[in-house]
Amino acid sequence: MQQYVNVTIDGAKIHAIKGTSVLDTAIEYGICIPHLCHVPFLSDIGACRLCIVENVVNGRSKVTTSCTLNVEEGMVIWTNTDKIRKLRRNLAELLVAQAPNSRAIQDIAVRCGVKEVRYPFRNEDCVLCGRCVRVCEEIWQARAKGFVGRGKNRRVDYVFGVRPDFCKQCEACIQICPMTIPPCDGPIKDGEEYLCGKCEAQLMIAEEMPLGSCSWCKLGEGFGCGRYVGVLR
Amino acid sequence: MPKLNSARELEHLRERLRQQRQDITTTVMVCGGTGCQASNSRSVVDAIRAELTRQGLEQKVWLCVTGCHGFCEQGPVMVIEPGNIFYCHVSPEDAFEIVYQTVMKGELIERLLYTDPVSGKKCRTETEIPFYEAQDRQILSQNRMVDPCSIEDYIVAGGYTALTRVLNHNLTPDRIIKEIEESRLRGRGGGGFPTGRKWQECCEAPGDEKYVICNADEGDPGAYMDRCLLEGNPHLVLEGMMLGARTIGARKGYIYVRNEYPLAVKHSRTAVEQARELGLLGNNILGSSFSFDVDIARGGGAFVCGESTALMASVEGKVGEPRAKDVHTVVDGLYHKPTTLNNVETWANIPSIISNGSSWFASKGTKGSKGTKILALTGRIKNTGLVEVAMGMPIHEVVFNIGGGAVDGKLIKAVQIGGPSGGCLPVEKFNLPIDFDILAEAGSMVGSGGMVVMDEGSCMVDVAKYFLKFLQDESCGKCVPCRLGIDRMLEIITDITEGRGKLEQLDLLEELAETVSETALCGLGKTAPNPVLTTLRYFRQEYEAHINERRCPSGVCKALITYRIDPDKCTGCGVCLRGCVHGAITGEKNQQHVIDVHLCQKCGICRSECKFDAIQVVSENEVSRCSST
Repeated sequence: MQQYVNVTIDGAKIHAIKGTSVLDTAIEYGICIPHLCHVPFLSDIGACRLCIVENVVNGRSKVTTSCTLNVEEGMVIWTNTDKIRKLRRNLAELLVAQAPNSRAIQDIAVRCGVKEVRYPFRNEDCVLCGRCVRVCEEIWQARAKGFVGRGKNRRVDYVFGVRPDFCKQCEACIQICPMTIPPCDGPIKDGEEYLCGKCEAQLMIAEEMPLGSCSWCKLGEGFGCGRYVGVLR
Repeated sequence: MPKLNSARELEHLRERLRQQRQDITTTVMVCGGTGCQASNSRSVVDAIRAELTRQGLEQKVWLCVTGCHGFCEQGPVMVIEPGNIFYCHVSPEDAFEIVYQTVMKGELIERLLYTDPVSGKKCRTETEIPFYEAQDRQILSQNRMVDPCSIEDYIVAGGYTALTRVLNHNLTPDRIIKEIEESRLRGRGGGGFPTGRKWQECCEAPGDEKYVICNADEGDPGAYMDRCLLEGNPHLVLEGMMLGARTIGARKGYIYVRNEYPLAVKHSRTAVEQARELGLLGNNILGSSFSFDVDIARGGGAFVCGESTALMASVEGKVGEPRAKDVHTVVDGLYHKPTTLNNVETWANIPSIISNGSSWFASKGTKGSKGTKILALTGRIKNTGLVEVAMGMPIHEVVFNIGGGAVDGKLIKAVQIGGPSGGCLPVEKFNLPIDFDILAEAGSMVGSGGMVVMDEGSCMVDVAKYFLKFLQDESCGKCVPCRLGIDRMLEIITDITEGRGKLEQLDLLEELAETVSETALCGLGKTAPNPVLTTLRYFRQEYEAHINERRCPSGVCKALITYRIDPDKCTGCGVCLRGCVHGAITGEKNQQHVIDVHLCQKCGICRSECKFDAIQVVSENEVSRCSST
C-alpha cells in the first residue's frame, strides 16, 4: 500500500508518494529542476548540486539538493527563486568552464541561464558526476571502476588503473556519460573553447510558460533529464 | 585490579587509593604532552626519577607525568606542589638542583622561573603568570592533576563520580537530557549545535542499536585542543561518552582519533583497557543494567573526516567522504543507526555538568554561549599555547592579556579564529566576545578554537590564499562547488597575488564565495569561503592595492616585491652573502653588497641575517620607477 504525503512545490499542492525524492516528485509533476548527476534508476549522491532548491522549514529557507531530500508531510519547496537561479547559474558556469566540450554540459549551461563564462576554460574530459561509477556498481554489480584520489586529483579509474576481469565491457558507463555527446558543431579545439548558447530558442518557450515548468525541451534530452530517461524506461 | 561490581566498591577503591597517597608530601608534575616531549621532557622525567631514587625520596615525592599544561612554548614545564612553583625550559641537568633545592629545601631556582616578557618580572608561582592568571581553566586544570596512563589518578581526583551518580540515583535519560539542555552546552567542534537537543533527537530516534562517537579528528593548522585533552585526560572523555551512551541508550562507542596523534591513540587505548579491566566498560557496568564498550578507530589523515558523515563512513571502512545530511546523523548515522557524535571537548564537559549541575555550568559565559572554551593561541604574539577562557571574553583580552601582545614591537593586524574555515577579524573587531552567534555574525566563527594572531607583516590576501590552498588539498572532491569553486577562487587569488588581478575579479570572487558557501555538500565546503569573504570584507583595500598598484602592502607576495640592499646602511660585513643559498648576493668585503634580482628567490634569509637592517623589501613598480629616472 503506497503512502502519500502532501507537499507544496513552487506553490503547487502535490500529493507525493512517500519515500520519493523531491526531484523525482517535481519531474513527475512537470516542474523542471535541472540536474546532472541524478539518473532515475541510480542512487543519488548530490555531487553536481544543480538540483538545489529552497526548503522552507519554520520560516527559514535552507538551500539543499532536491535529489537527496525526501518528501515529507507539509514540506514547502521553492525550485525557481532568484537566489536559486543565481546559485544554479554560478554552478553551471563552473561546470561549463571545466568541460565545454560536451553538449550535455553546454545544454545545462543554457538551461541555467549562463550568458558568459568568467573563468578561463579548461577543457577537461570528466566532471566527476559519478554516473558511470554508480551504473557499474548498482546496475551491473561489477564495481570495475571507482573514484580515485582526493580533491583536485580525484578521477574515475579502474582499480589500480588496470581494467579488471569483472568489467564485462558492457559500455553502460559510456552510454550514460554526459561527456560522450559532442557539441553539435563538433569538438571544440583546445584554446578555442566557447559558450555555445545556440539552443537558447528552447528556453524562449520555457520562459513563456509558468516559471520553471517542464516544456519537454530538447535540452533535457541532451543532459539525460530524468523525465526523458524515465519515459524511455 | 579486581572488577568493580557496584558504585560502592568504586568509592571504597577511591578511599583506599587516597589513603595510600597520604604519605606524599611533595608532588612534581612534569608535562609529558606532545609539545613538551618534543622539547625533551622524557629525559627530564628520567633524570628527576633517578635523582629522587638516589635521595631515597620515592615514597614521599610523587613524580607525575601529566598531560599538556597549555604553555607549550615554555616547555618542558613543571609544577611543584605545595607552593605552586612553576619552572620552565627545564633540562635533565637541572634535575639535581630541582630535587636538592626545591623539593628538599623548598628554595626557588631563579634561572628556571618564568620571566614575563611584558613586564620583565620573574614569576614564582603558576598563578602569578599573566598567561594563566587571565584564564578560567575548568577542563585544562584537571590535566595537570592526573597521569593520563593511570586510572587510579583519575579516580583519586574524583573521576567517575558523575557516572556513579547517574547509576546510583538511576537518573532517567530525560533527566540527564534536561540537565544538559539547561546547561545550554553547545558543540565545541565548530558547529555549536546545542548538545542537549542533539541527545534528545538521538534518544527519540527509533531503533535499539545506537552509537556514540567521539570526534578527535582534529586537523586545523595550529590547533590542538582535542589532542591535548585526549592525551592528557582520556578518562574524562571516556566518562563523558559513558554518560552520553547511557542517556541515548547506546551500547557501543568509538573514539575516532587521527593517526598523526600517536600519543593520543596510545593514551586513549590504555584508558579503554584500564576501564575495561575495572569493569567500567563492558557488560553490566558497576552492577547496573548499563552495558557499554568503546573501540578506538584511527583516522587515515583526511581533514574532511572531521565532518560527521565522512567520519562515519571512515569508521565503517569506506572512503571518508561526506554524504548529504538531509536526514540527520542522530537518526541515520553510523551503520545507518542513530548516532550521537560529539567533539572531544564537548564530551569532556559532560561529567562536570552532571556532577556540579547545569546552573554551575550556565553561570559562566554569555547569553547564547555558556561555559568555557579551549583556544589554541598561536601566531605573532609573545605567549602561545592552549588557553581556556570563559565564553564571552573579548578577543583583545585573549590576545593582549593572555597572549602578551605582539612580538618585536609590531602592530597586531588581525586574528584568524576557528581554523582554516574561520574568518579573519581586524583589530577594530577585537572588542567582540568569544561567542558562537556574535562571531558568526561578524563572518568568523568560534569553530574548534584555533586562534592565529597576525601582525602587520602578514598579507591578508596571502593568508586567504594559504587557507584556500589547504582546503583545496583537503577537499574530498565529491561536489562541484567545493572542488571547482575552491579551485577557481584559488586561481583568482593567485592571479591577484601575482599581479595579474583585475578589479572586476573581486566581485566574481565574492559571488563565487557565496555560491560555494550556500551550495556545498558538507561543512568543509560551506565554510571554506570564510577566509576569502572576511578578508574581502575587512581588508578590501589590500586586495585593491594588489590589483590597482601591483603592490603588496605587507611585502609578502613574492611576485610583487624585490629585495634590495640599502647602500647607506650596508657595511659590507658579508653575512648576507654567506647566508644566501641561491648565490644572488655579490660584493667585496667592506664594500656595498648587491642583490642580483634574476638570481634572487626572495626567500628572505638575507633579511633575517642582516644586523644593520640594510635589506629592504620594495614593490616591483617602485624599482622600475627608480631605474627609469
